[in-house]
Amino acid sequence: MELKNIIKLARSRSLENAVFVSVLLLIYNFIFPIHSNPFILLINEALVFFMIFFIYNYISPYTELRKDTPLSLVLNAGILGAIVFFIISLANSAFGDGNSIQSNTGAVNTLFITVSNYIFIIVLTYIFSTFRTLYYLRQKKDQSLYFNTMLFFFVVTFFSEFANSNSSLDFIHDAFYIVTIVLISLNSLKVSWIAFLTKKQKLYLLLISIILSILFGFNFGLLNESSVIKMILFKLSVGLYSVFSLVMIYGMIYFGVIFFTTLFHLPTAEAFDRRSEEISSLMDLTKLITQVFDFKELADSIINFTTKICNSNAAWLVTIGEEGIEVNAVNNIGYVEARRAAELFLKDSVNGVYSITNAHEIDDQFNFRTVAVAPLNVHSKLSGYLFTARYGEVDFDKDEKNTLQTYADYASVALENAKLIAESIEKERLEKELDVARDVQRKILPVMFPVSDKYELTALFIPAFEVGGDYYDFFELSDNRLGFIVADVSGKGISAAFIMAELKGIFESLAKIINSPTQLLIKANEILKDSLDKKNFVTAVYGILDYQKGVVKIARAGHTPIIYCSGGKTSRLLPKGIGLGLDYSDKFDNSLEELQINLKQGDLFVIYSDGIPEAKNSRNEDFGYDRFERIISSNCSKNLEGITNEIVKEITLFSKDNTQHDDITLVIVRWSK
Amino acid sequence: MADFNVGLRDAGSVSIVELKGYLDAHTAPELENVFNKLIQENKYKVVVNFDQLNYISSAGLGVFMAYVETMRENNGDIKFANLKENVYNIFDLLGFPLLYEFYQDENEAINKFNELSKS
Repeated sequence: MELKNIIKLARSRSLENAVFVSVLLLIYNFIFPIHSNPFILLINEALVFFMIFFIYNYISPYTELRKDTPLSLVLNAGILGAIVFFIISLANSAFGDGNSIQSNTGAVNTLFITVSNYIFIIVLTYIFSTFRTLYYLRQKKDQSLYFNTMLFFFVVTFFSEFANSNSSLDFIHDAFYIVTIVLISLNSLKVSWIAFLTKKQKLYLLLISIILSILFGFNFGLLNESSVIKMILFKLSVGLYSVFSLVMIYGMIYFGVIFFTTLFHLPTAEAFDRRSEEISSLMDLTKLITQVFDFKELADSIINFTTKICNSNAAWLVTIGEEGIEVNAVNNIGYVEARRAAELFLKDSVNGVYSITNAHEIDDQFNFRTVAVAPLNVHSKLSGYLFTARYGEVDFDKDEKNTLQTYADYASVALENAKLIAESIEKERLEKELDVARDVQRKILPVMFPVSDKYELTALFIPAFEVGGDYYDFFELSDNRLGFIVADVSGKGISAAFIMAELKGIFESLAKIINSPTQLLIKANEILKDSLDKKNFVTAVYGILDYQKGVVKIARAGHTPIIYCSGGKTSRLLPKGIGLGLDYSDKFDNSLEELQINLKQGDLFVIYSDGIPEAKNSRNEDFGYDRFERIISSNCSKNLEGITNEIVKEITLFSKDNTQHDDITLVIVRWSK
Repeated sequence: MADFNVGLRDAGSVSIVELKGYLDAHTAPELENVFNKLIQENKYKVVVNFDQLNYISSAGLGVFMAYVETMRENNGDIKFANLKENVYNIFDLLGFPLLYEFYQDENEAINKFNELSKS
């Protein structure tokens, strides 16, 4: 545990440690310029070793950072290799045999030698660290054992040189040296990262690696021959020379292996490029799925990728809707041509992907000669097809077809998602619309009712979830008259709410000037002609109560029967009349009938929308008119609130397990002297 | 819940539209499609057979209102036949019998068309 902590601490402060050891080494060499004593030599070697160790620790994270760009790592190592080459070549010509360096013990000479060795050490460790990073690139399993074994033998070789100088045990050092070379050769085979380069990068690497292999070979050879550099290295540390030459050998072998591996990878480079393009396209598509929710945009992106991954010239996407084939997106092909091709080349009998490349089937009206089709399936339901085409007469191979199908599978899921999201947005919009409609309805219906001791009135309104178009209102008119209206607009939602709003305007203004319910409805029908759709209509009951005289005039336009209760007996009033908006001719005007009733004390009228008789129970049975009339008949003498409560209670009981489908409106008017 | 079916067959120059189930806002578009098809094929004489229809909502009624004008402008019509009592009551309440022809039996409606074209 403690050892680990020490190593950790040593590593975390590599630079400081390296500087410290290098200064120490410099001073040490000033004191002992000649390492004749084995003990002095050993300490010197240890200092050099620690310096290499710390510099290596300091540099390796930097090369590690660039593992995503192996080519630049290779290039860096190459540049350093070239620098070494120049130094060796120049040193040979500048210093001749270098004997003077060996024998000179002056301070300047020591400083020169030590500093140049430092430069060598830095270059060396950088190159080695690059190899280490390349070694670990794209390794799926933990391969550190092999590399660390090699490292160990580097260290052993380094120190065995020291033993060598002391006695005649040459073979120990040589043995370690050879074992290290063997390990280097083995580790050099770990070059799987080459496979992941693009074809262009591989060509580039091929060129560089052969140059570098030769360069490092030269370096190794020159190092052996050049006595000057050998002297310089030996002067500081006997082991350093071995390590230096080993790294040069490593470079020669490694780049040689890279050269041949790349060479063998070249023929498959194109296929690999395509594979990786496919994968990255699939990844892009996956990204699109999570980012693009617009169907059209998604379809466009999908077909753009399709041409890329299938090596084709054109692509288009069709979906099968209620009205047959629909071309959603095209790439390098016109909509018309794409549509014609889709109609011609779809084979219902074939499951899965297929391709056609035949001059018989693809005639001159098409620009392309080869076409491949993949069905888009969602939950094993066919939703459309993905087409891709080539201008040349080269059929799509099995891999390409498989890729197209895989891609189509992804695409169909993505498109389905986009569709579902669009639907849920639409649903949300509809719900908002319903909110608006509900709001409009609430504001249109009266809050304050006219009050008089001559009549009582009450109104109940229970809106359905999907807003209907029920409307009721009371108008205080001149000459002791009260107008009352109950209307039902066909249709639901915002459109019904708007008609309601219009109705309010129409009835409010007409009630003041027309004293006849039939005339008023005729006029209303005329006005509604411009605003009602052909398929919409409005049913209404309009009545005018003269509460001074006790007379009611009432007319009905297609509305539910009025229930009239007089002297404890109920009856249904059904004056003739067509609904508003069904007809705009005389037929409507002539159909209307106006009832006039002379009232007795306590007579009451119940006017309501069809939400009451058509309220359903769980067995889908109607509440019905009879039941409704019975309830009124037995509660006729109660106050209006009591009657209303009774009706609501009965309806609620009846339809307790069922949702309310339509608005419920209930208006009761009672006359009293 | 909403099971609804539209059938279409010919009886001479008259087209018979057979309705089944529940005709409401959700199923009305199906019927609209049939009427669009008839108009495309220039078939304007239509008898709607309500024999199997159990319920009609205001949206269902709207379909006939939307197409009757086109039919009549082209010397045709929409005539109703074989209505169940509850369905007829809905039409009746609204005053449809004043504007449309209703028949107990589909053949009566077809005959009516044929008589007209003879005369």
